[in-house]
Amino acid sequence: MTALLDILIGGVFHAAVLFLVAAGLQLVFGVQKIVNLACGSFYALGAYFGITAVSWCLAHGMPPGLFLPVLVVAGLAIGLIGPFIEALLLTVYHRDEAFQLLLTFALVLMFQDILRFFWGADPQQLGDLVMTYGRVKMGAVQVPTYNLLVIVASIAIAVGLGAFLKKTRYGRILRATAENREMSLALGVNVRWMYASVFTLGTILGTVGGALVVPTAAASLDMPVELVVEAFAVVVIGGLGSMRGAMVGALIVGLMRAAAISWYSELEMLAIYLVVIVVLIARPGGLFGKPLE
Amino acid sequence: MDQKRRKLLQAIGGTGVMAAAQPWMSAPAFAQNTPVRVGIIAPKAGIAGTIGECGLRGTQFAVDHINATGGIAGRKIELLIEEETNPKDSIERLRKLVLQDKVDCVQGIVSSGVSLAMGPVAEDMKALVIFWDGTTQDGVKETMPSKRYVFCSTDNECEAVMGSLLAIKHWKGQFKTVAGINPDYSYGRNNFAAFQALLKKYNVEHQVVADQWPKVGTTDLNSHVAALKAAKPDLVFSSLLFADLPIFMRTAHGAGLMDGKTKFVFPAAGFQHTALKKSFTPPGMIFGHNTLYFDYAKGSDLQKQFVKWYHDKFNDYPNWEADRAFFAMAVYKAGVEAAHKAKGGWPGKEDIISAMEGVKVQSLGGPGQMRKDHIAEQTFYQGITTHDNKYDFPTLGTVDVMYSDQLQKGTGQDFWKWIETANIKL
Repeated sequence: MTALLDILIGGVFHAAVLFLVAAGLQLVFGVQKIVNLACGSFYALGAYFGITAVSWCLAHGMPPGLFLPVLVVAGLAIGLIGPFIEALLLTVYHRDEAFQLLLTFALVLMFQDILRFFWGADPQQLGDLVMTYGRVKMGAVQVPTYNLLVIVASIAIAVGLGAFLKKTRYGRILRATAENREMSLALGVNVRWMYASVFTLGTILGTVGGALVVPTAAASLDMPVELVVEAFAVVVIGGLGSMRGAMVGALIVGLMRAAAISWYSELEMLAIYLVVIVVLIARPGGLFGKPLE
Repeated sequence: MDQKRRKLLQAIGGTGVMAAAQPWMSAPAFAQNTPVRVGIIAPKAGIAGTIGECGLRGTQFAVDHINATGGIAGRKIELLIEEETNPKDSIERLRKLVLQDKVDCVQGIVSSGVSLAMGPVAEDMKALVIFWDGTTQDGVKETMPSKRYVFCSTDNECEAVMGSLLAIKHWKGQFKTVAGINPDYSYGRNNFAAFQALLKKYNVEHQVVADQWPKVGTTDLNSHVAALKAAKPDLVFSSLLFADLPIFMRTAHGAGLMDGKTKFVFPAAGFQHTALKKSFTPPGMIFGHNTLYFDYAKGSDLQKQFVKWYHDKFNDYPNWEADRAFFAMAVYKAGVEAAHKAKGGWPGKEDIISAMEGVKVQSLGGPGQMRKDHIAEQTFYQGITTHDNKYDFPTLGTVDVMYSDQLQKGTGQDFWKWIETANIKL
């Protein structure tokens, strides 16, 4: 039972991280119909910037216990590059999907060099800061409190995002724009602004995710690709454009990975993509996506 | 005009023939006045970036030291540095150094993937190459048994063999269930297999209850740690060695894997020693520092001088790559000077190579030599960690020292058969 709980917590933690990246991907695709490969780069950017912000604050006398709010603020702040990146995408909004993929892939490569330029090629870490909040003990199971905070933060963001999209005026307009862009335009919706704000929100989800997870891991140049590979599995399983799908997809991928690692670690990726293939065959639109015609 | 041109060409040609016929007239003067050009190919970026940087610092120290004391047989060293990346591009840089920059010797290479591909090319080009940390082994099998121009480091498995021997020496009878978490490529696989083979050789009853193979660069090891914890091993053997090692240590500590009586063997921990902070790295583990343990009380004056220079200059403590780089330069210097002495003048490449075979040198970490089959022998350091020191990371409380003739197979031997038959003193 203890072993199962350990594996479960490991899987849920990974799912929480994946959700934040996949949610940004889903949001942008849902509204703008752009498959944004650069979502992993935003995640890495958040991680690097988070390390810099926390290191700077610690060097200037900040008590270590305050590193969590600093990471959140750092993730939010660097996420504000969203509108500038979105301006680049203007050129491909009405072009073939291949152009969109090429442009966002170019962004991945460019960001890799930007990260290398500012932070160097060596992986960056925050030492033992993650243990500042101690550990939670549940019988024989021990989890760093910080890991549980990341899971809680991810759930809170999922709930908050859901409520924001469903209950607020902005959310309703956003969903309407996602459903029918032309009709929204005809009704006077500022679609241009809507696109910029949605893309920024998607970027912030990625950068905050990266900043939150970095104390438990390391910021490295390989992060974007590593995450995107799994984030796309989440999206395919959950259904492209569905926020609920992102949540369920992230949970499935996180738990499948944890189970595979526990029982046969070589099959980590195979296990995940086996689910992807099953979903693609049985329900091509994903578990919560619109059925394909 | 044509006649004038012909005469001029004849004159130039005649001078050339004379120079070729009497090389002794100009060569020694040329040799003494020009530096020895040494090309270095080392990683500067990626997961091996910090390791390459440490090696480059070791080279710089060696060159400063050699140039300040008269150079190599009277000639100073000039370095030409290129970056080690993937095998294809690294080989292109080797070609550039040899063909374009006309270097006398090439040193460097950390990745065995690169050295394995570069070895045959260097042989084909007749380029004298000394690998820092690269071998020409495909797994544990030597692919170039009779190489002429390529010189390799000690076998990759040396640290795993020593870590395994220390685990048996210190903890035999205290563990039955073992688990492994090792990088998912031939290095990690061979190391864990060597550990199990040595347990068998020394009749240590054991059962492997978990084996984890994270890919190099994995940054979330929570599930791997959960799997290890679930297996409840008495001993964990891990040859993680890049940035994933501190991540593993932090994650394992956070999950309580290190709270019980589980023992840990990290044969390659020395690559990350300063990143493994005391707060999440408990004492009492076996750590391998390979061929350079920076804090060795009985270390030579040369080592102490280097560690001080390194710390003063970079505010850091060196790992073994610095020693590998220093060793490569020391072997080349010793080879050239031995050949120079024997010949009574500047030696050719073939003379230098012959002189390097069997040469003995004093490296930063201790004595070493280049075997006649072009594989290095060096001194290795491992031991049990302690927190009783002035640093914020663990050091070795007890230091075991072994020479690599006890840790690596002999010329032409099969590694697994060598493990079975070798007479190793525990």
